[in-house]
Amino acid sequence: MTDMTSPMPHARTDAPDAEGREERRLGFWLTLPAQLLVLFIALFPILMQIYISLTDWSPLDGIPWYRAYELWIGLLNYADLAGDPRFWSALWRTGLVMAICVPVQVLLGLGLAILFVDDFRGKRVLYSTILVPMMVVPAVAGYMFFMLFQSGGPINDLLSMISGQRVTIAWLSDPDLALFAVIVSDIWQWTPLMFLILLAGMVSVPQDQQMAAVLLGASWGRRFRTIVLPRMKTIIIIAVAIRVIENFKVFDNFYIMTGGGPGVATETISIYIYKVTQQELIWGYVAAIALAILIVLSVVSMLAIRKMRKA
Amino acid sequence: MTEIVMENLGKDFGDFTALAGMNLTIGDGEFVALLGPSGCGKSTTMNMIAGMLDPSHGEIRFDGRPMNGVPMARRGVGFVFQNYAIFTHMSVRENLAYGLRAQGVGRSEITRRVAEIAELLQLTPMLDRRAAGLSVNILQRLAIGRSAVVEPAIFLLDEPLSNVDAAFRAVMRSELKSLQRQFRQTMVYVTHDQLEAMTMADRIAVMDHGRLLQVGTPLEVYNHPADTFVARFIGAPGMNLLSGQVVSSDSGTQVDLGAAGRSGPVMAAQGGDVLFGFRPEEVQPDPAGPLAMQVSMVERIGARTILHLVTQGHEAKAVLDSETPTPGQGEVFRFSIPAASVRLFDAKTERAL
Repeated sequence: MTDMTSPMPHARTDAPDAEGREERRLGFWLTLPAQLLVLFIALFPILMQIYISLTDWSPLDGIPWYRAYELWIGLLNYADLAGDPRFWSALWRTGLVMAICVPVQVLLGLGLAILFVDDFRGKRVLYSTILVPMMVVPAVAGYMFFMLFQSGGPINDLLSMISGQRVTIAWLSDPDLALFAVIVSDIWQWTPLMFLILLAGMVSVPQDQQMAAVLLGASWGRRFRTIVLPRMKTIIIIAVAIRVIENFKVFDNFYIMTGGGPGVATETISIYIYKVTQQELIWGYVAAIALAILIVLSVVSMLAIRKMRKA
Repeated sequence: MTEIVMENLGKDFGDFTALAGMNLTIGDGEFVALLGPSGCGKSTTMNMIAGMLDPSHGEIRFDGRPMNGVPMARRGVGFVFQNYAIFTHMSVRENLAYGLRAQGVGRSEITRRVAEIAELLQLTPMLDRRAAGLSVNILQRLAIGRSAVVEPAIFLLDEPLSNVDAAFRAVMRSELKSLQRQFRQTMVYVTHDQLEAMTMADRIAVMDHGRLLQVGTPLEVYNHPADTFVARFIGAPGMNLLSGQVVSSDSGTQVDLGAAGRSGPVMAAQGGDVLFGFRPEEVQPDPAGPLAMQVSMVERIGARTILHLVTQGHEAKAVLDSETPTPGQGEVFRFSIPAASVRLFDAKTERAL
């Protein structure tokens, strides 16, 4: 990828020094309002979150948020969080979903990209079809899979047809199967994005290098392992990072399919936060959870970026 | 070490004919340059030899074995790409070893042969460097080494010097030539630079618009161009071609060049309209000469001076030694052409007479 970009030459106006400084100062003042606005938009919610997370504030208390300091409890929310089994189990479940979904999506996406990098009949139609799930609103996808996985739904019907016996699996009310079902929906919806990103990466692998390898007698597998994959390293890291971050935020289809249940069997971190926010209304605590996750995600992104620099 | 035979070889891309009916035999161990402007079909020819393209018609044989349909991996062809196609994410050593590894050669054998080729190409000091940061001449040697190490029977080079700046080209030309002597492989070299073809090739195949116009040694092609395209293309500047008419008189056969005068006696087998060709280097300043043209520009380039000459309907160039006194711009320049240096071409077919 990096081989293909070349720096664009910048037009430079060589104004005399004093004039240039003057101009730059004017520029600073002219852009200041916009910069302040951007800074405010980016920073304010985070600062507010940090502030609230250090209090026991709830919208039911009748105290406006800026006077939340009256309920100052210091790091108590964080201490509670550290000992909250439901938080840890939601975090662990999120990790589990991620650990299954991301590799499966990457491998499926890679496999599809390999198929689509060469031309074949009907490629365009198939290509557009494969991308459809990505464009379905996640909530709608949730309803689709909610219906598919009903005990009297099409999936059980299909299984009945194949096995010849009446199958009535309670997909969404069995704790293990429910997790399986939501994972299937996530894979269905996001494999196309992986496919799209990885295909773009695969297409950018220089054709002449592959030709050179062929002429040197390298088999397809060897070329893939020694040329295509190493050259796609950056794009694979990007793809994985996007999915890891997105998987932390997975909510819509999970909530619609199972509401986090049965029990807490499919309760991911987002659903947990949603429930604490909307049902238990302890916002100081919510702020603390959200901040903890922000820190985790920042670390993940940083690791990904560092890996990418190395690649 | 293989003889390549191309028989009625052709390639069409839809309505476009990239190569039409090429017949060429490249001898074992021979260095042949395919020379022509871009779009002449030279790269198409080479890609078909390598097996990257399938011919639309005709046949390619290596030592008598038909190659049509044989996948490129099994043709035993080494290919040096225009931009070298070095695996930049690997080290020099890994690049050199790539072909041997792919062919399942044993580890100790690989080490030995890589060391050997690296020594030959003076790549030993940078074996463990990453290929990404190397300079062009090293990349070129690496590209040649990577192909040569698997000992292909045929070496194909696709404009390997086109990305190199002019000063460096001379160095790399002689380097390539000496490498070819060492490897003794059949080499096909694609280029649009006639200087590269002239200096390195045993034979030159001049191509234009998908047709092979002439095959011959550099001097044959230079001295006896088969047609006006070759005449103009080879040499810098190319051959002068003035349209005229063959006339016979008491003083023998001459060519009437209209306003430029009438040439000295020439050997002409045919009368009528001809193109009167002569190399700019063959122009002899001669105050009593039969030809006269006006000087439109004087280019002084060190040891040589190039005169740009015009006369109604004619344009020509003359290359003179800079010691020779030259007329100034706008003056009339009188000259003669030795009869042996004159090449006549048919005005219609543009073929040599």
